[in-house]
Amino acid sequence: MEIPVGHYQFVAAALFMIGVVGMLVRRNVIVMFMSIELMLNAANLSFVAWSRLWDSIDGQIFVFMVMVVAAAEVAVGLAIIISLIRNRDSVNIEEASLLKW
Amino acid sequence: MTAPDLDLGAVAPLCVVAVGAALMPLLDVLLGRTKTFLSRPVTAAWAGTVMSLATTGVLSIALVMCFDAAGAAPRTFNRDHPMILMDGMTSFLNIVILIGSLLTALASGKFLADLAINRGEYYALLLAAVLGMMLLVASTNLMMLFVGLELMSIPIYAMAGFRRDSLRSNESALKYFLVGSFASGILLYGTALIYGATGTLSLLEIGARFDVDDPVLLIGSGLLLVGLAFKIATVPFHQWAPDVYEGAPTLVSGLMATTVKVAAFGALLRVFQMAFGPIDDLLYPALWVMAVLTMTVGNVMAIIQQNTKRMLAYSSVAHTGYLLVGILVGTQVGISAVLFYLLAYTFMTLGAFGVVAVLAHAGRERERIADLAGLANSRIFLAAVMTICMVSLAGIPGTAGFMGKFYIFRAVVEQAIATESSSLLWLAVIGVLNSAISLVYYLRVPMVMFMREPEPGPEPDRSGTFEGLVLAVCAAAVILLGIWPEDLNLILTRVDVLHWASVASASP
Repeated sequence: MEIPVGHYQFVAAALFMIGVVGMLVRRNVIVMFMSIELMLNAANLSFVAWSRLWDSIDGQIFVFMVMVVAAAEVAVGLAIIISLIRNRDSVNIEEASLLKW
Repeated sequence: MTAPDLDLGAVAPLCVVAVGAALMPLLDVLLGRTKTFLSRPVTAAWAGTVMSLATTGVLSIALVMCFDAAGAAPRTFNRDHPMILMDGMTSFLNIVILIGSLLTALASGKFLADLAINRGEYYALLLAAVLGMMLLVASTNLMMLFVGLELMSIPIYAMAGFRRDSLRSNESALKYFLVGSFASGILLYGTALIYGATGTLSLLEIGARFDVDDPVLLIGSGLLLVGLAFKIATVPFHQWAPDVYEGAPTLVSGLMATTVKVAAFGALLRVFQMAFGPIDDLLYPALWVMAVLTMTVGNVMAIIQQNTKRMLAYSSVAHTGYLLVGILVGTQVGISAVLFYLLAYTFMTLGAFGVVAVLAHAGRERERIADLAGLANSRIFLAAVMTICMVSLAGIPGTAGFMGKFYIFRAVVEQAIATESSSLLWLAVIGVLNSAISLVYYLRVPMVMFMREPEPGPEPDRSGTFEGLVLAVCAAAVILLGIWPEDLNLILTRVDVLHWASVASASP
């Protein structure tokens, strides 16, 4: 039995919303970072399912691009977070408040 | 299966920058291992200067190639599947991006040395980001657009945090990284929805298959626009910009305020022209509100700033608003006005950030506007450059900024008269009123420099040779573009944005 595309899209949309809400609600930098990854992976799932629906390879190639970009983002993002922890000893975004107004 | 029909010549400038980005770390290692050169000891500052000159060299080669390509017929990299399009607009935006990054690279040598962050990765990151920007403005496909956007953003995240021991730089990088990747995530999901609704990633195909009643497609388009709006910092997606510009190393802030914005605007122009034609009526009110809010909030918030970099950040938000007005017009005249404005804006903003960067030298940051007091007595050259840039940003006749605003508002009024649209006319009125508001904070800077007595303390350093050169070029360009804009604008109105249509009909 084939699972219809709509089901995949529903899961992808749910994952994306979890990511967005996590990004907006959580205050731990690393959790926020993981929420962003969740958003990217929601898009990946969506791409693969659409690719199947349209019988086109574009969406699957896009997924590889996204994975490469996500890996690069992890490398740079974790480096930024590590240098923050070294200087401040905290991963709470609320404490990063030198720059405002 | 036949081999794809590739035109490497079309992407030659991009290849030059890519090779440069790959070779820069090698040059860094090489210079690190060299103890003496021509029987003189190799110092860190000397190595930094060599790196900065090498980067400038790579960017100049690419710049010359883009000048060559500017007059030629549009070319695509892969003729069967045009994902990279080098037409007049791409070449022009590439030239603006390359000039901006070239000036930044040239000034970076002494700047990095004075902050004791003279490391070679900076130049590799800079070149990688430039490659991303060039890809972004050339992309006619959502996949290429996403790759270009990320290739531009990721090195800039790292550059914003380049002062690893400075808390403010850390915080700036963190905020930029979180907001930037959040925006990329939104943009990516929007792309996925658009792909799902149309079954294609090519912007032209999306435009051709656009079904205005499809909710998935509309939501996807909205998410794509929100993602791009974050990158160009329009209200209400602008909150990150002042924080990030204030904390990042000053020249990197200058780069973010100019070339990054130019590249993102290029992508926005492409998306509007190629894909979103069918929903112009839907987008118009949203963009109208966005443009008005962006101009007004940027200008009002800039008035109350005490920090020069933060003031310039809000000023760049306000200028995003003027540029959105030009995009909103949507005519050929409007687009060429936007292109001219981007060039003028790059010179004046880089000049202003450049002066702040030079002033940071004397060991302490002179970032507050009050720190500029009496600069006209101690460093008349810096004060003159800053004054020219401020006058131009405010849009006073005789400068590039005035001509940019004049072209944009002329395009708006012409279109408003042609279509008898009162909302467009109001847009022009609000824009001009906003220019008047901006005089308050722009002219405060020259006033402080010329009228106030300096605070006691060490005099600011002189600018280095290359920094002085960069500042002089910016100031001269601002004045030249203000006095003889017509020649350039004539070229721009000939940049035929409608070439895209011919490329579309050529592709299967």
